[in-house]
Amino acid sequence: MKTRREFIKLAAAGSGALVLGFRIGLGDETGEAGPFAPNAWVRIEPDGSIVIKVGKTEMGQGVRTALPMILAEELNADFQKVKLEQASPGLLFRSLGTGGSTSMMGMWYPMRHAGAAARTMLVAAAAERWSVPPESCRSAGSVVHHPASGRQVAYGDLVADAARQPVPQEPTLKKPAEYTLLGSSIRRMDAPDMVTGQAVYGLDFRLDGMKYAVIARPPVLDSEVESFDDAATKKIPGVLKVAQVTRGVAVIADNTWAALKGRAALKVQWTDSDAAGFNSLDHMTALEKATEAPGVTIRKDGTGRAGMAGAAKRMEAVYHYPFLAHAAIEPVNSTVLVEKGKCEIWSPTQTPNTLQFVASQVLGIPAFEVKVHVLLVGGGFGRRLGFDFDYEAVEVAKEMEGTPVHLVWTREDDMRHGHFQAASAHRMLAGLDASGNLAAFEHRKASTPHNIYRAPTEEQKNDPAAVIGWAWGVYDSPYAFKSAEMTYRAVDAPMPIGPWRAVFSPSSVFARECFIDEVAVATGRDPVELRLDLLGRNDESVPETFVANGDLIERPRMRQVLETLKKNGDLDRKLPKGHALGIAGNAYHTGTYVAYAVEVSLPFNVHKVSCVVDCGLVINPHGVRQQVEGGLIWALSNMKGQTTFKGGRAVQSNYSNFPITAFGETPPEIETFIVDGGADRPNGLGEPTVCPMIPAVANGLSRLTGSRIRSLPV
Amino acid sequence: MSRITLNVNGKSHTLDIAGDMPLLWVLRDILGLTGTKYGCGEGSCGACTVLADGEPVQSCRITVAEAAGNSFTTIEGLAASGLTRCQKAWLEEDVSQCGYCQPGMILESHALLRRKPKPTDQDIDQALAGHLCRCGTYPRIRKAIQIAAGAGSKS
Repeated sequence: MKTRREFIKLAAAGSGALVLGFRIGLGDETGEAGPFAPNAWVRIEPDGSIVIKVGKTEMGQGVRTALPMILAEELNADFQKVKLEQASPGLLFRSLGTGGSTSMMGMWYPMRHAGAAARTMLVAAAAERWSVPPESCRSAGSVVHHPASGRQVAYGDLVADAARQPVPQEPTLKKPAEYTLLGSSIRRMDAPDMVTGQAVYGLDFRLDGMKYAVIARPPVLDSEVESFDDAATKKIPGVLKVAQVTRGVAVIADNTWAALKGRAALKVQWTDSDAAGFNSLDHMTALEKATEAPGVTIRKDGTGRAGMAGAAKRMEAVYHYPFLAHAAIEPVNSTVLVEKGKCEIWSPTQTPNTLQFVASQVLGIPAFEVKVHVLLVGGGFGRRLGFDFDYEAVEVAKEMEGTPVHLVWTREDDMRHGHFQAASAHRMLAGLDASGNLAAFEHRKASTPHNIYRAPTEEQKNDPAAVIGWAWGVYDSPYAFKSAEMTYRAVDAPMPIGPWRAVFSPSSVFARECFIDEVAVATGRDPVELRLDLLGRNDESVPETFVANGDLIERPRMRQVLETLKKNGDLDRKLPKGHALGIAGNAYHTGTYVAYAVEVSLPFNVHKVSCVVDCGLVINPHGVRQQVEGGLIWALSNMKGQTTFKGGRAVQSNYSNFPITAFGETPPEIETFIVDGGADRPNGLGEPTVCPMIPAVANGLSRLTGSRIRSLPV
Repeated sequence: MSRITLNVNGKSHTLDIAGDMPLLWVLRDILGLTGTKYGCGEGSCGACTVLADGEPVQSCRITVAEAAGNSFTTIEGLAASGLTRCQKAWLEEDVSQCGYCQPGMILESHALLRRKPKPTDQDIDQALAGHLCRCGTYPRIRKAIQIAAGAGSKS
């Protein structure tokens, strides 16, 4: 039996494959008759079908629409003829991970390159057939034209000849002015299957002879199986097998219900755990205490915290942010077949390449013997960057060699036993000069770093280069201060901590944007004007751009977003009695700039949301609007629910005690303004719209109550 | 085990089955109708909604023994004779993000429009109150229902 310690060691080793790189495998031309496949990403069938490989996991963010659009644009393809195939890890696809809102920027070049290479070869094939220079030909709508002679030929009729053309290494890419597809609103490719129940999510995957499994896991963190009695379980009709696995006891049955009944009948003795004394309330106190002294410095403007000494007036506030589960409606699950030294996995995963490694380690077989299929995800939000459920499914399938096993997590399993977003405390300090100007600033964050892949060493916890990422939203504050110091302190906690929508930044941006609002109120400044000043609007000594932890922050783009909010958001409108506006903004690390003005009333009503977004070059404006709406509604959930721990157990287990935004809580009016900040590439939007919405709402509510909202949930 | 007969999407099924199995798992695991989704198992998310003689019910909250003798429509059966106006409106408004909760939303909305052909936003909020969407597609669902309502009484 593997101990939890070994499991963690394996998880750490597996993280090497999790690096989100942009390396793609470009295959050679096949030269075969039949489809024309100039590279790994696109294939053109003789009937004219354009088959595009999608190398990112679709979990609602729209990659299965936006990525094909990019390739089809360069290919000059008829988008109606595009069909999708989900890429599987292997030699051609060595880095398929999806996370961090990086899909658009990461795939921008590979998709264009793949489409342009195919287009170049198709045009060359037509030119050769007509004995004309390729430069005299044009392509559009999956057809090559020769304007001078009026001849034309469809892509489908060129596949055999195109396959014989040399593969261009540096094909000419189209200029933005030549785009006909990018920038137009295209509806979701998978929508028809979704509204008819035909879409296959992980939990819907079925194979002939497939069995169903659930696992009894320890109620207390870090506890393990001491012994178990399965006599009653084995009497349940449909139960096939009971097996101990790393994290608990698996019950395998003919169907989900039999497995669940079998699990309920299990009697498991769990070992004592040091985590049994863990309570999130005490942890919050420890976090706050950790901010009493500055932590590891991760950014210093001017003279740093020394600047605080000369302040005429000081302000100080502590912000709290809770632990949170992901609560995607589809609980995690995975289907695995282990047979004859091979393994096949069907999973709603965000990290498919890692699964090859995980299964190879569990089974002791080469990674190339592990085939991974990426299924549709019923809400990802970072949960499926964890591979704990796939690891478990491989272990269970190993017990059932030759039989496919579908591991189901119940909602309660999902809420209690997954990884969480870390709780954090933020101590904010401001020093005002005699005229009331913000002269000095401090942001001290304390939280638990990610530990599901590899928990940081003590040395790393004190290394500025290592901790900076955990202070995302702190180090990359777009504001310029005369003197400022940002610090981070790691505080251990026993539960799994890992990716969650917008990762480390929502808590940081909540604290920062709320505290800036506190300063605005205290100094009688308009919250938009104060921010514009802090972005160097009238101060030539403030650099227009800066690089923090490798992220380029462009202040003119942040200013334009706020200026647009001022212009289009009707901020001076007369509000009904009892209503107030809350303002917040953020520069997300991928180069996406967002600002909100939110009209609220007490106790927690959101009447209207105005959002301005600059997410770089826009692929699909319709998709941008969807992500704005979804992100801001997610953020409202962020202000309602939390996960607490008592006696080392996660308390919340289902939507009845972990509430998320409900239908009637949706803002009746949402307006989205997309601005062009001059970027020549697309940036991410799945996460950036979440962060500033939380403080915008909190700022509005605080203006109504007169007392500040400094902890979540509200 | 009990012998139970129920009608799903116009087809009669006789099953030898544990009578306490929730209809949800019967649909998904026994009949292979995976368009009906599992989300919470306690009736708080609405993803498992199906129609029982036209009325929305949460299939995780009724056992197959209770379901015996009744007729159910799942999302797979809704479009048996072409897309309904709700499904069409869902596509027009492009409601879905991850799409997982949408079958339950669509069936509930379908029943709402049967009951109330011209619902107000308040009617919609009330009818859909038991349905959760983690992606935040609620504003588009509201619009889609209004589009469908405008399309007239033909379903």
